[in-house]
Amino acid sequence: MLEKYKNQFIGNSIQFVVLDDNGLVRESDNTCIPFKTGDSLKDFHPFFESLEAIAPDSKNEVTFNCVHLATNGKELITDLVLRREDDALLLVIYDLSQHYNEYQSVAQARNESIIQEQLIALKNIELEERERFKNQFIRNFSHEIRNPLTSIMSITQVLDQTDLDAEQKQMVQYLTQSNSQLRLLLEDILSISIISSGKLQVVEKEFNLIKLLDLLIFTYTTKAKEAGLKFIARVDDKLPQIVESDRLRVYQVLTNILDNAIKYTKKGQIEFTVQLNQKRANKANVRFEISDTGRGIPAEKLERIFTSFTQIYESDKEIGSGLGLSIVKGLLTLMGSEIHVTSEVDRGSRFFFDLNLKYPLPSSIGAVVKDEALDAVLRKNLKKDKYKLLLVEDDLMIQTVLFKFLSGTDRFYIELVSDGAKVMEEVVNTNYDLIVMDVNIPNIRGDQITRLIRDFPFKGIKDIPIIGVTGTVYEEDIAAYKAAGMNAVLPKPFAQEELLKSVFKYLR
Amino acid sequence: MQKSKKVLLLGHFGVGKTSLIRRFVSDSFSDAYKVTIGVHITKKVVELPSGTSLSMILWDLEGTDELHLIRNAYLMGTHGVIFVFDVTRPATFQNIQRDLDIIQEKVKKVPVLVVGNKMDLVDPADVKRLLEENDIQSDYMTSAKTGDAVNEAFLEMATQLDI
Repeated sequence: MLEKYKNQFIGNSIQFVVLDDNGLVRESDNTCIPFKTGDSLKDFHPFFESLEAIAPDSKNEVTFNCVHLATNGKELITDLVLRREDDALLLVIYDLSQHYNEYQSVAQARNESIIQEQLIALKNIELEERERFKNQFIRNFSHEIRNPLTSIMSITQVLDQTDLDAEQKQMVQYLTQSNSQLRLLLEDILSISIISSGKLQVVEKEFNLIKLLDLLIFTYTTKAKEAGLKFIARVDDKLPQIVESDRLRVYQVLTNILDNAIKYTKKGQIEFTVQLNQKRANKANVRFEISDTGRGIPAEKLERIFTSFTQIYESDKEIGSGLGLSIVKGLLTLMGSEIHVTSEVDRGSRFFFDLNLKYPLPSSIGAVVKDEALDAVLRKNLKKDKYKLLLVEDDLMIQTVLFKFLSGTDRFYIELVSDGAKVMEEVVNTNYDLIVMDVNIPNIRGDQITRLIRDFPFKGIKDIPIIGVTGTVYEEDIAAYKAAGMNAVLPKPFAQEELLKSVFKYLR
Repeated sequence: MQKSKKVLLLGHFGVGKTSLIRRFVSDSFSDAYKVTIGVHITKKVVELPSGTSLSMILWDLEGTDELHLIRNAYLMGTHGVIFVFDVTRPATFQNIQRDLDIIQEKVKKVPVLVVGNKMDLVDPADVKRLLEENDIQSDYMTSAKTGDAVNEAFLEMATQLDI
């Protein structure tokens, strides 16, 4: 009985063949493949042409797994065993076609998946390389375009001061507006390229949130007023004063949304609300919300507004690049947050996001130390009661803010200059103790002026401390300004405290 | 008397070993990728410039990136090796020197040809630069699809085996 089942099981799957040394069949049970006595296996399949080389020369066995043999148009997948028996060669053919066909399916799926993975990885490398090249190109291109743009802006300003008739004045105004738009577009393109290149690092540092909000409220109350709008600010008094986050990025996000609100609102008001959602351990979850009574965004366009170069209406191209909200989205993603928007056409829009801000625990002395440190700085034992300070800034609003920051200490005689070409004349004619200078000013850039001062042959001029202020977001730019000879560079926005600390550090 | 020589085709999976043999033996090509398991053995008799004819027994081995794991039985009696890589997939040639060392160790003193396949899919200048960067020397750059340099590669192997 056992023999019967055994025969049924192995049935047609094992064949024994006895061969001579030339590969001629002596005997075969023909279970799988029909051979006749005297048949040459070399003629049957090329595998056997190598018989002399592969046949064992002693009683050893050699097994060849998974050999494909074709017979009568049918393919068998076999294991072949060759064994030397006295003066003959025993060949055992195991027909394992079913088993190997199943394995074939598995191997097919596995290999296809691995090849696909490799090709996708390659494609990704190629895409990353292209993206890197694109971003590098944009950065180089933007840097190159800055200088001629500065020249155009300077010449436009000079032209504006000449004797022009009303029509010419109007044209110069258009030119000035176009220049400003181009400059903003350039900055936006640079920002988006650096965000998408993944090179932008969030730098978390302690800063005074309340002071940053005060600065924004002051700035946008003025801007809204100029646009004939009302600006309402609501700041939760439970907000922690000192928090830890990337102040520059928070500022960039908020100014982009606030600028848009003013840009697209013709009448009514802008509301800026900052509210504490939750305070837990040493994290404060803060909601920032900006709503306007502008024209609103159609529902079908809401999804697209965060894509680069997207404009809601064709006419928007005249007032913006369509990059602002894309920058907002990119920056918030970097900070682990997400922008939300609700909008109704002709009623207005509401943008909001929640941000986790670290803040020192009450037991921490960080915040206290900060204020004490500033007091100590202001009480610093200096040689003079008052110092002569040259403030170089062309933006009227920033000029006013900086003037307020500095004059509040009552330690300075401040001279204001808004034209790069006039700085050297001022520096040579007046013994200034320190210069606070915007880098991006008309006619000669702040870093170029710094080089001229540092190359000046007279002591007392060449070593005047220079504090640069800049709107750039790039570390390499800041490093370049320092290399030009600036003692310190403050990226906008900065708090009064930071400015004063830098200024007092370099007063002699 | 016609000589018979066993030639192994080795390389990672999906590099086109089966396609090269099919192009050489039956001058045909299929875009469909069918994984080879175990070994397929085919034969082609070639006439050599010397006037002799040679029976090339082509052992198309299952592709693997672990050449040291190839069963020794497959390697017995090998007269020549064609190592194939895929020019579109660096993973198939990045460790080529290590792979060739393993082959030399396992199959001693036989001619080895290195063939870069799938040239129809790439810009030859890009491949040249890539191979130079990786310090890879290839004997033939082929395309089983178009047939470019396929016969030349196999005939070169046959010529070396005829010596």
